[in-house]
Amino acid sequence: MLAFIIRRIVWTIPVLLLVILMTFLMMKLIKGNPFQVTERPVPASIQRNLDRKFHLDKPWWVQYLYYVRDTARLDLGPSLVQRNQDVNDVIKEHFPTSIKLGLMAMIFAIVVGIPLGVFAALKHNTALDYTAMGIANLGFALPSFLVATLLIYFFALRLKDYTGLPTNGWEGPSSWVLPTIALGIYPMTYFARLVRGTVLETLQQDYIRTAKAKGLRWRLVVGKHVLRNSLIPAVTAAGPVLGGLITGSFIVETIFGIPGIGKYYVTAVTGRDYSVVMGITVLLSVIIIVANLVVDILYGYLDPRIRDERT
Amino acid sequence: MSEPDLATTDPPRSSPRGLDRPFMQRRAEFEEALARNAGARGAEAGASLPRASLWGDAFHRFMKNKASVVAAIAFLLLLAFVIFVPWLSNEDPYAIDFSQAYQSPSWAHPFGTDGFGRDLLIRTALGGRVSFAIGFAATFAIMVVGIVYGATAGFVGGHVDNALMRFLDALYGLPYLPFAIMTLAVFGTVNFWTMVVALTIASWFTTARVMRGQIFTLKQNDYVRAAYAVGAKGPRVLYRHLLVNTLGVIIVFVFLELPGVILGEAFLSFLGLGINPPKASWGTLAQDGYTAYATHPYIIVIPSICIAWLILSAFFIADGLRDALDPRTKET
Amino acid sequence: MALLEVEDLRTYFKTREGEVHAVDGVSFEVEEGSVLGIVGESGCGKSVTSLSIMGLVQSPGRVVSGAIRFGGRELTTMSDKELEDIRGKQIAMIFQDPMTSLNPTLTIGTQITETLRRHLGLSKSDADKRAVGLLEEVHIPDAKRRLRDYPHRFSGGMRQRVMIAIALSCDPKLLIADEPTTALDVTVQAGVLELLDELRRDHGMTMIIISHNMGVIAETAEDVLVMYAGQIVEHASVTDLFYRPEHPYTEALLASLPHIEAQDPRHGRLMTIPGRPPDLLVPPEACRFAPRCKYAGRDECATVPPELREIRPGHWVRSQHPASERAAEPVGAR
Repeated sequence: MLAFIIRRIVWTIPVLLLVILMTFLMMKLIKGNPFQVTERPVPASIQRNLDRKFHLDKPWWVQYLYYVRDTARLDLGPSLVQRNQDVNDVIKEHFPTSIKLGLMAMIFAIVVGIPLGVFAALKHNTALDYTAMGIANLGFALPSFLVATLLIYFFALRLKDYTGLPTNGWEGPSSWVLPTIALGIYPMTYFARLVRGTVLETLQQDYIRTAKAKGLRWRLVVGKHVLRNSLIPAVTAAGPVLGGLITGSFIVETIFGIPGIGKYYVTAVTGRDYSVVMGITVLLSVIIIVANLVVDILYGYLDPRIRDERT
Repeated sequence: MSEPDLATTDPPRSSPRGLDRPFMQRRAEFEEALARNAGARGAEAGASLPRASLWGDAFHRFMKNKASVVAAIAFLLLLAFVIFVPWLSNEDPYAIDFSQAYQSPSWAHPFGTDGFGRDLLIRTALGGRVSFAIGFAATFAIMVVGIVYGATAGFVGGHVDNALMRFLDALYGLPYLPFAIMTLAVFGTVNFWTMVVALTIASWFTTARVMRGQIFTLKQNDYVRAAYAVGAKGPRVLYRHLLVNTLGVIIVFVFLELPGVILGEAFLSFLGLGINPPKASWGTLAQDGYTAYATHPYIIVIPSICIAWLILSAFFIADGLRDALDPRTKET
Repeated sequence: MALLEVEDLRTYFKTREGEVHAVDGVSFEVEEGSVLGIVGESGCGKSVTSLSIMGLVQSPGRVVSGAIRFGGRELTTMSDKELEDIRGKQIAMIFQDPMTSLNPTLTIGTQITETLRRHLGLSKSDADKRAVGLLEEVHIPDAKRRLRDYPHRFSGGMRQRVMIAIALSCDPKLLIADEPTTALDVTVQAGVLELLDELRRDHGMTMIIISHNMGVIAETAEDVLVMYAGQIVEHASVTDLFYRPEHPYTEALLASLPHIEAQDPRHGRLMTIPGRPPDLLVPPEACRFAPRCKYAGRDECATVPPELREIRPGHWVRSQHPASERAAEPVGAR
């Protein structure tokens, strides 16, 4: 098992290098000069100095190698637009907020979504099942910007007097509620539908019939036999979902005015701030890759058949 | 060869497992009677089922599924809405008339008007045309790229497959929205084609992976080996036997990817990277509406509901298609 | 009073097209200590009968009418909780496919001890000890270590043995074995049947064995029910059934067994019964086997449903043309 884990971890390195390469190439393709803040072109001599300082005069693959070396040292370079800031500073300032939001949305999605799916499956084809899935489908289809906007509309404007939930900014726990719900509804429906499917499938399995034939109490059958088997896919889905949450929170951050990485990203791209864009994209990729890695390893641990295959 | 005289042979002593002896006699009778009755009874009793075609069968199964039929109707209604409404109206959708700005839904303007006084019913329908166009174009492109990539990997196998799949794994590491945003930035402007390309580049991975899996497993089937045995060449096998059998999966995927790209376009528009005005898509309409949500929520609600409508109907159609083409799934 | 009495059991399945009469009026008794075999082709209702006894018929199926009495107690009116107490403890069941009948994410030990702890209230260590004993009883080597293994580490035959161990763990009075050897290799089948026989004698268990394989039935059963299209068409002792079958269906079943030595080269072909079983959505009003029966006449066979009648002491048959009444008639004279 350990050998598998090591192999898997080692494999992420070329993946990461490739991701950096692709991002790098894309950035190079974006026309424009990051140093040009006004309409006037930058004087040639200053341009030359800047180019030399940031290695922009070297061939692209050299720049790439420089970049990889620096990244390995966790030095993502200075921001090309914000003269006095390093990319690392930008990240330190904005990233934790996004991570926090993503984690909370994830917890919301799991805590609400999984029980919803389980109950819907157990009460298959009854009114409870249909309502639960109706809610899930609605949450899945409505675009998050609509959900966020509606939440703000109702809570901030209509019900302002009853609930003190702020709709802007990121100070204090009460301001976390609405954005978490807005971001968490979509993954919640994903988990609900996924778990409902796996529970239904598990209930059809022969070994559940065996468990019933043994006279085990139904509650035990569900808790032990059914859940153990049906939650494995949900756990393995959690990784990519978390990755998606952290990297896809742009919309919610924009609407709720949350100072996370999303808001910053678009400005950086349009402003041709290469290093910031690179740094953020690489970081986001790392998160996705790590999330997938953890889940992959976890899956092997949870399912004894895979566990044996891997040893 | 003379028939052994069964009638005079004594049934020998045997254990219950020696079932044959006493019955050889009966077997002869049985067979004789069978031969005689074969014409009359055999025909009706042994009549085989009428041959059914795969697609006809699937179509019937699909029709039986209430949810899918409702979804299909809803989808077609939406399509009809975006196609016919602008066609049937005489109003100029781009006419700016500030005196009419921000009217709530009424008989004159069923969807109300926006900040520029433009009728939203027509704008929504037109926006739908753009969204659908982008959606279909991007989905088509995703299918082409995904199928070519995945089928090549699955069919050729070996090192090529390995390399292609590893590369694909790496691409999965790129975050969706940022990737699309960067692609748009590379192009410099956002118009129909750049949007389609950006969405395609960010979304083709899953299709490729699924196609590769399909071709790979189908390749193992005996009928493929049989085809080669009678002299069929590679490309013919690929096309005639493998790809044809993946058509079902492809169709299901079309209905799964379509809402995805339309939603993606909506998100990008919302972030300010949408199609340039005055042309609008549902995404840009929603973004317009966002600025006025506090006082005129209908402007953002309406295009969002259109998107949701599309997502739900496409999803249930895909579900129904999946069940119709593979009836082994037990879930209701 | 017999250990198990089934009286006019009817189990139907509600489908979109109508109700499928999977079990349509089945009655029999099982005396304590005996072995009843139920034989018939796929879809004849034999498995559904056993599931009905256990109360394990899943929606959209349900027991529509009939009585099932076990040790004098009526099972069809019991609550879920009462049935849960009986299952596993008084009546145990083993199923056809050992590969899928065990939970792949729990150890064998857990799956054995959970029954012991549920019904006998044993502590964990006691249950473990007992589990080891059970595994040894079904001849699984290295039992103690194997307790901690997962099902995928066992072969098909061994898994079936584990299932048997689980079934016997609480010393049930009745064991229902539904196609216990069907999914196993031929070489392993004999071993499992022998084991069942040995354990049955050691524990003094009553057994119902279900199979579509006449050979299995011949080897293990004392009394046999032949089922067709949801009904019992013949009921006799095993020797009487095999030596003097009465029902045309039974005869055809026996005739369809492949024989290695073909006495007559002409008869080397495999015999089949032409046609297919009837659609149980709309069961035929008259004899259900008539369309495939070569003795069927256009008269009563097509209009009057035959009743189960005792043609000899201990031998029941549901047919207008049982073998003993046919001897004088020429074949195919209709």
